[in-house]
Amino acid sequence: MSILKKINLKEKISIAKEFFLELVFVKRSLYAIGASLLLSFYIIQTSTPLFSVTSTLREADTATSSPSMASGVATALLGGSSNSSGSTDTFHSNMDSYLLAQTMWSKGWGSKIYGNGDLNEEYFNTIPKRHSLSDRLGAFILGYELHDYFSAYDLQGYIKGTMGLTQRQGQTNITISTMTTNKDFAMEFMNAVILETDQYSKQRLIVKSNEIIAATYSQLAVSKNSSISSALANTINSEYFKIANLKNDLPHLLYIIDPPHSSEYPVAPKASAIFLSSAILFLFASILFSFIQKNKEDLW
Amino acid sequence: MVNEYFTLHSYGGTLEYYIFELANFSALAFLALLVYKLNYINSNSLIAWLAIFFTPLVINYFVISPGMFGDQFEYAGEVMSLKATGTSLETIALFQYAQTNPITLTAKILGVTPLPNFMTVTSLAFANKFFLFVTFLWFKRFFSNENEVLLYFLIPSLILYSSMSLRDTLIIVLSILCIINLIRDRYVFAVVFLTPLFILKLQMFSFLLLYLVARVLFRAHIHSYLFLLFIFVVMIGGLIMEEQLLEVLNLYRLAFAAEDFVGLDGSVSYKAYNIYGAGLAESLELSSLADAIFKAILNLPNFFIMPLPWNWTNIFYPVQAFESWLLIYLYVRLGMKQNLYKNPEFILLTFILMVGSSIYALFLFNEGTFVRYRFTLYYPFLLAAFYLSSKSHKSAKKDQ
Repeated sequence: MSILKKINLKEKISIAKEFFLELVFVKRSLYAIGASLLLSFYIIQTSTPLFSVTSTLREADTATSSPSMASGVATALLGGSSNSSGSTDTFHSNMDSYLLAQTMWSKGWGSKIYGNGDLNEEYFNTIPKRHSLSDRLGAFILGYELHDYFSAYDLQGYIKGTMGLTQRQGQTNITISTMTTNKDFAMEFMNAVILETDQYSKQRLIVKSNEIIAATYSQLAVSKNSSISSALANTINSEYFKIANLKNDLPHLLYIIDPPHSSEYPVAPKASAIFLSSAILFLFASILFSFIQKNKEDLW
Repeated sequence: MVNEYFTLHSYGGTLEYYIFELANFSALAFLALLVYKLNYINSNSLIAWLAIFFTPLVINYFVISPGMFGDQFEYAGEVMSLKATGTSLETIALFQYAQTNPITLTAKILGVTPLPNFMTVTSLAFANKFFLFVTFLWFKRFFSNENEVLLYFLIPSLILYSSMSLRDTLIIVLSILCIINLIRDRYVFAVVFLTPLFILKLQMFSFLLLYLVARVLFRAHIHSYLFLLFIFVVMIGGLIMEEQLLEVLNLYRLAFAAEDFVGLDGSVSYKAYNIYGAGLAESLELSSLADAIFKAILNLPNFFIMPLPWNWTNIFYPVQAFESWLLIYLYVRLGMKQNLYKNPEFILLTFILMVGSSIYALFLFNEGTFVRYRFTLYYPFLLAAFYLSSKSHKSAKKDQ
């Protein structure tokens, strides 16, 4: 009883009622909500629906580095992450590499992103590129030239900026995801990125094996010790075996578990949230305006 | 209103982002106007809190990239997942063994805040502001001068950490509620507020549990003899359980050092530690409690005044460096005020703060992390000291 008396509930309720009648339930609030509807419609009309495109992959080589006992405990204590396997790291590095971007550029992917999709090399190597004022100013001040045309550098930036790669703690599955306005193109592009990355990894290993074979052959030509010659021959055999294993259509680093696919409906923007939020925002603006008008003297 | 696809799209810095978050700001600002109208706060507090409520909008995507405090995405993602699907994110669910994950509990508590939407990485920051505001309303009633209380809620680190979707504000709020209730002898309330800290921040829970034990079992806040008895028993207990204590301390030392490890190849954290950290455990090992106390005393000054100028790596560090001195000054000033330092309650409070700080000083490897940890530990104790200096506390004690 004494607490209620201390709070003076009756008086507080009457003040709250007055507050709502004076500031909330007024004509201005209706105008504010009307204005918010207009803004919401404008935002929804001008924003482009974004689809989520994802693909799930699994490491082909599941041999991962086992974390040490101490780091396992450390991870559990501090919530840090220590898992990172070789295949995923290699895949991620290759996916973001300039060489992969160059390969994909030569296949005309740049044209599909920055141009009209024409696969003629003369066309896609001369797609004009616009530069922002700050870029131009920076180039002028520092004395370097800006590229007039789009190149593999832009494609590399596009892949890095749009394709996200995540791996859950302690799992061998990897998810590649992107948000896009053109889901068909995104699915096609993601598929190409996955296959080209894997292919690029293979090619790198083939080049490496060929180099080892060539160097070993030159050693074999001068070797006079039979046991050394035998060891060198074994090395050549094993490298040829590696090449044979790599020159096929099977995936090398990662298997595709779930090919690139899109969300059924756009995931953003969320129309209901926009309507609600802008209504609250405008309503509050109206309340604040009235409040300041009526309490100017008290506040300043 | 929730964003079911939060993990896929965070609306970072877009027009939609600002509309969603301005709506959250509007809801809190409306609450502040109502509270002002009901005469619970004065006009200074109203203006200050409107500004405080606005700060999340100028921190993420404006002053800093939210990736700088990347944990925010986990907390925000978890609250979206819980609200949209009723289950935890898979990445978090994997780490829920016997007890609730701290991220899940934080998301559950902050998620009850009556905000219009939880759409972006910044939404939970407004939930933090809500809890902080409620704490301010509760705390200020013990003081006659509201403006003085308001100043304690304008400390830069408090504004910064409560402007992000992190659990630090929740830990601070629960710790304040627990400590003040302990001082007011409201033990049931204190235990209620202490319990979630077991999951949210085990270290803070341990320090406050020690405080609870000191008050309830030893009555160490009443007389200095009882306080000395408490210290004696703690020391004896420490010696008996030396092995277990050292095991825990060494484990945490290693964990924090491994987190901050940099490898020869440029790799960092646990990944680098896995490859290059073979001799680390041995070099960091505390051999005895005396060794631990010695090392803690050596690190304590650094712990209190960091970040030092040569470690300043971002815009907040100079402000936090200045703030660390200010916080020390405030605590000392409160202690000196009306000879509070002779008060057994203040002595016990300071002792617990020093125990907590000393333990943290042993894990001092990452500046950024420990500037945050220090504030989370220090601030509730500072407010408690402020409360002890208040007239209402003294008059309550007189009445008893």
